[in-house]
Amino acid sequence: MKKFLLPLLFLFLFIFESIVIQFWPGGSFESRILAPRFLFAALAFLTIYVGKKQGIIYAAIFGLLFDVVYVEVIGIYLFLYPFICYLITKLMQVINTNIIVAFLVSMLAIALLEVGVYELNFLIHVTSMSFIDFVNLRLYPTLILNAIFLVVAAYPFKRWFEKHAEVLKEE
Amino acid sequence: MPQFFLNKRLIILLVSIIVLVALIGFSLRERSNLTWPEQFLKDTTGWVQSLVSKPAHYLAGFFENLQDLQNTYEENKELKSRVEKIASLEAEVQELKKDNKDLREVLDETRTLRDFEPLPATVIGRNPDRWHEMIIIDKGKSNGIKKNMAVVTSSGLIGKVKSVTQFSSTVQLLSAMDPKNRISAVIQGETEVFGFVQGFDDKQKLLLVKAIPSGAKIEKDQAVITSGLGGVFPKGLTIGKVVEVKPDQYGLNQTALVKPGADFYDIENVIVIKRLMTQPEEGALKDGKEQEL
Repeated sequence: MKKFLLPLLFLFLFIFESIVIQFWPGGSFESRILAPRFLFAALAFLTIYVGKKQGIIYAAIFGLLFDVVYVEVIGIYLFLYPFICYLITKLMQVINTNIIVAFLVSMLAIALLEVGVYELNFLIHVTSMSFIDFVNLRLYPTLILNAIFLVVAAYPFKRWFEKHAEVLKEE
Repeated sequence: MPQFFLNKRLIILLVSIIVLVALIGFSLRERSNLTWPEQFLKDTTGWVQSLVSKPAHYLAGFFENLQDLQNTYEENKELKSRVEKIASLEAEVQELKKDNKDLREVLDETRTLRDFEPLPATVIGRNPDRWHEMIIIDKGKSNGIKKNMAVVTSSGLIGKVKSVTQFSSTVQLLSAMDPKNRISAVIQGETEVFGFVQGFDDKQKLLLVKAIPSGAKIEKDQAVITSGLGGVFPKGLTIGKVVEVKPDQYGLNQTALVKPGADFYDIENVIVIKRLMTQPEEGALKDGKEQEL
């Protein structure tokens, strides 16, 4: 039973992101664009606290799901989610884990993801936004929104994933 | 450099970049149908989404009702004044409709570009990354929805059906940047001016109506509707109102900035429009790259 809880958490976040955007009041924050990256924040925490293998597998599965269901261009998130998770594991080999470091690293990961997605979308002509506009209108607001989410969710994530890591070790 | 080829990680990275490019290329090409694994995944998540989104709609509706209660008094006053006008308008519309019908029968031309069949649907999801502006609705192939149908809310056109699966479909909003699709539009005035809805100004939140002849006179607040000439959308769906007109890049045409009638956020219920007039065959619409709707 407990084995299914983790995939369910990610599935919930996957759908929760879309619901947040669906009920987002129009016209608020002028023309700034805030994108929730709650799923990816959780994936970053999973990579930091549980391990490389788990993190990258979950990232690939949910990246593919995200691509198929929401974006309809397969490849963008399927590539970027696991790739950034891999970079996180490299970074975590150098620094010690504590909750503040985990928070900062996942914010960095979200920033990397945003820039990566922007560059890919720019390449395939989905957007014509200039980089300066992107940083001002999208990157800062998105980081602030996700920082607020992570401030609330960081501690529960940490507890949950640490427990999960212990269970995995025992097996 | 034999070490270069032995570096496992580098090879994995290179292979995955090649796979990435191949996959993106595969999904960007013009396809009339999604592959079946995609359809299966979309239908399954669509089912879960519709389970979750119903309570979410109730909850949001409750808070909205509370907000509505706050300014009921003023709204009521304004609405009462409008109701009086509506009664006389309705009588006029009835008369004109009957007139129109009679005249059409005389002409033996009973079908028009305006005829359509509405299919109501509920929004169950929206793309959270906000680059590709898309919503997911809970009606699909089994309800008679097909690719490229127009989608409207009560206040105007919001987009077109991008892909259909058995029980859900994806709607691409007008605010999405897609150079491949343009919608044939009419700017209503004393003389009708034709143009194409093509693109969206992200900063000002305005639609761009391009390819308007440079001689045409367009004023602020003129209504823009679909023309039905593209062959897929019916005539007469509201798009918005003109805000500003400016000459285009080379000065040969004009571009009108149009404020969309519909709100692209907070969409709950939509209507999918099925055009009744004959449509050109699917193959005839695709001249390689661009589609005119």
